Amino acid sequence: MLGILDDVTVVELSGSLSGAYCAKLLADQGASTIKVEPPGSGDPARMEFPFVGEEPGPNGSSLFLAFNTNKRGVTLDVSRPEGRRLFLRLIPKVDVMIESFPPGNLEDIGLGYTVLSEANPSLILTSMSYFGQTGPYKDFRANDLVAQAVGGFLHSVTGSVDKPPMGTVLEQMEITAARNGAIATLAALMHRKQTGEAQHIDVSTMESTVSTPSGLIHPYSFTGRGPIRGGSDGNVMDGMHLFTRDGEVTLTTAGTGGRPMEAWAEFLEEPGLLDSKFAGRRGRMENWRELYDLVAPKLAEWNNLDLMEATMARGLVIGLVQNPTQVVESPHLAERGALVEINHPENGPMMYPGPGFLLDGVNPMEGSSPAPLLGEHNQQVYCDQVGLSIVELENLLDEGIV
Amino acid sequence: MGVLDGVRVLTLEQVHALPWGTSFLADFGAEVIRVESVDHMQDRRSGPFPDGQPSDEWWNEGGALAYFGTRNKSSLCLEVVHPRGKELFLKLVESTDVVTDNFRPGTMARLGFDHESLTKINPRIISLSCTAYGHTGPWRRAGSRARTVDAACGLSYLTGYEGGPSQRASSNYMDHSAGDNAAYSIMLALYNRERTGNGMRIDLSMQETGVSAIGPAILEAQRGMTRERLGCGHIWKAPHNIYPCKGEDRWAAIAVSTDAEWRSLKRAMGAPDWASTSRYDSPEGRWQDRHNLDEQLGQWTATFGPEELMVRLQEYRVPSGAVFTPEELASNPHLRERGYLQEFFNEHAPQAGVRTYAGRPFQAPQMPLEIKHVATLGEDNWRILRTLAELSEEEIDDLAAEGIISERPKADEPVP
Repeated sequence: MLGILDDVTVVELSGSLSGAYCAKLLADQGASTIKVEPPGSGDPARMEFPFVGEEPGPNGSSLFLAFNTNKRGVTLDVSRPEGRRLFLRLIPKVDVMIESFPPGNLEDIGLGYTVLSEANPSLILTSMSYFGQTGPYKDFRANDLVAQAVGGFLHSVTGSVDKPPMGTVLEQMEITAARNGAIATLAALMHRKQTGEAQHIDVSTMESTVSTPSGLIHPYSFTGRGPIRGGSDGNVMDGMHLFTRDGEVTLTTAGTGGRPMEAWAEFLEEPGLLDSKFAGRRGRMENWRELYDLVAPKLAEWNNLDLMEATMARGLVIGLVQNPTQVVESPHLAERGALVEINHPENGPMMYPGPGFLLDGVNPMEGSSPAPLLGEHNQQVYCDQVGLSIVELENLLDEGIV
Repeated sequence: MGVLDGVRVLTLEQVHALPWGTSFLADFGAEVIRVESVDHMQDRRSGPFPDGQPSDEWWNEGGALAYFGTRNKSSLCLEVVHPRGKELFLKLVESTDVVTDNFRPGTMARLGFDHESLTKINPRIISLSCTAYGHTGPWRRAGSRARTVDAACGLSYLTGYEGGPSQRASSNYMDHSAGDNAAYSIMLALYNRERTGNGMRIDLSMQETGVSAIGPAILEAQRGMTRERLGCGHIWKAPHNIYPCKGEDRWAAIAVSTDAEWRSLKRAMGAPDWASTSRYDSPEGRWQDRHNLDEQLGQWTATFGPEELMVRLQEYRVPSGAVFTPEELASNPHLRERGYLQEFFNEHAPQAGVRTYAGRPFQAPQMPLEIKHVATLGEDNWRILRTLAELSEEEIDDLAAEGIISERPKADEPVP
């Protein structure tokens, strides 16, 4: 681990994916991160299907494993007075706390920002929620799909215009909220260094969704019309997915010097593309089935990686529509060291994505630790760090508080 | 006062991902100098323009320019391909903290602006390149669009209607993700420099940013597991979809995870007979019969408007949300009350009037962020060249006369 943030201590008290991913972004850069889970079942993500282990169980959910690298795990029932007291003993040594309770719940269990600030005046609290801590929707319930709905992603971004709205998968809105949370938290750490002031940051997943596709609010405000889904419908050269021999690809008209059909006719050796009805974008859309019938058989002659190589050599721009297996097996990513191997005691070694950037040529997540087993670090954190005796810890375990 | 006050960023940026990323730094108070060229005006041409009509000063009035293009940034319109322009750029590097670019790999080296060259001028320099596939590996030379990155990272393959083909996952979500990641990684590098005194080279890949967002599928693939496309459906939850509402193309999402939420939904519907079957008492039972369930539920939801349905279901604690349109979001009472939407009058483009913009999705009381200023083309030429490059007025006049710096597009630049 490169460990840029190894002087930062984070505690994550969060049952949500945005909270878990936000803490992961800090932990993956070296922040000493303690994930606090309810005793018994732990973070609900632990039981999220599918499981990569031999048997379904709390340590084998792919979602949990992917979202919780480089954290230490403890269990604690903070809703009980003894649990709350123990949690407050952790707080003085913590720089950042990430939480994602429904707004107001922390106050209800006596762990509101005021109480936390008394325990540690320099604590930065980052609250992740779907709608934010204020406003008429603050108590509304949601998940990633609901965030895509209320944030405009479903109506305007993915999907086809002649079909119902459709979004994308794998909790992207939670991740977007988490990225914003990590930026704000890191800024708050810098602010604290400069001024000594701490603060409570309020991140909204709905707002993360609205602000993320570029074109929802200001285009509507400027033109009276917002975008609508379906940008790829019937768009053979600039958006549709087309089959190759061993996969799929999406073409573009980029890199063709303003003469896309000439460039692609030459590359695919298909003179039919030079027909004047395909010369303009509009003509290509109007005659898309005919165009598709010319392009599709030619692309079907290619293997994905060969097509990428050959188009690159000509300066043409395409995107291979890779499935996750193709991503894992990608020679390009392997050469860059973009994925890192992490060995999990129950699930064995697997390749995990890095953060998306190399620092001085190195993947900063090289040498990472896996997601914690449920309660794996109870003794380390409560005894070595907080100073409980083994007997005290055992009592808390017996009472189900830890 | 911003948390990045005193940090100077020189950015050679185009289109979307990187301008979005550096706009965070500008919001936090960094002096972000966007180095522009009159030969590459596409971002200023991209609009949207007030009421769809570019005015005589179209290059300073686009909505995307204000939302992130030169938001809170400075503009230095300097032709860095010209030897004199290149020399001035390198002069500015002496007093710069961060240099960013989104050229294809190789371009910065050809200009003499690669990390090694910059380090010789300024040993503490942080540089970030934002590219589709990074600076190493066999695909480094490939160009990209946001959707080709959605495709290459694996997200688009997993996106599609139930039983249908794969579809592009977004319009430019990956541009924004990569931009978010650019902001985060630059702030990490600044944090690191504060501690160690060392600069850093950041090689940001848009594809890898995308891969980092599909971690679960990456792990599953290594165990031979695949994910089916389910549209708005879920791999084990039901009902979990969008449902028709009153009005044309109006919908609402409902996402039930637990049996308790299902029972609440039944109560909200007035416990209709079709929902009372014991088959629906478990997630497995609901999921297996989800198409029938969705159909029945849809007949009920179709009697409500989307927002009305959301409010009703939320009263019963059922996760649900209206499928909002941009028009509705621009006046949404929740977003208004939270102060998320910003009404902004760009004093440099008064013809545009007051327009509405999305805000930052976080509220940090000690670091309030908003659009304060939108740099016009070459607005800061004089200030930067006088104070940072220490040129005389005559020298600057000569640069302008030779077309090495500009404050307007070229005479033959067509109106967008």
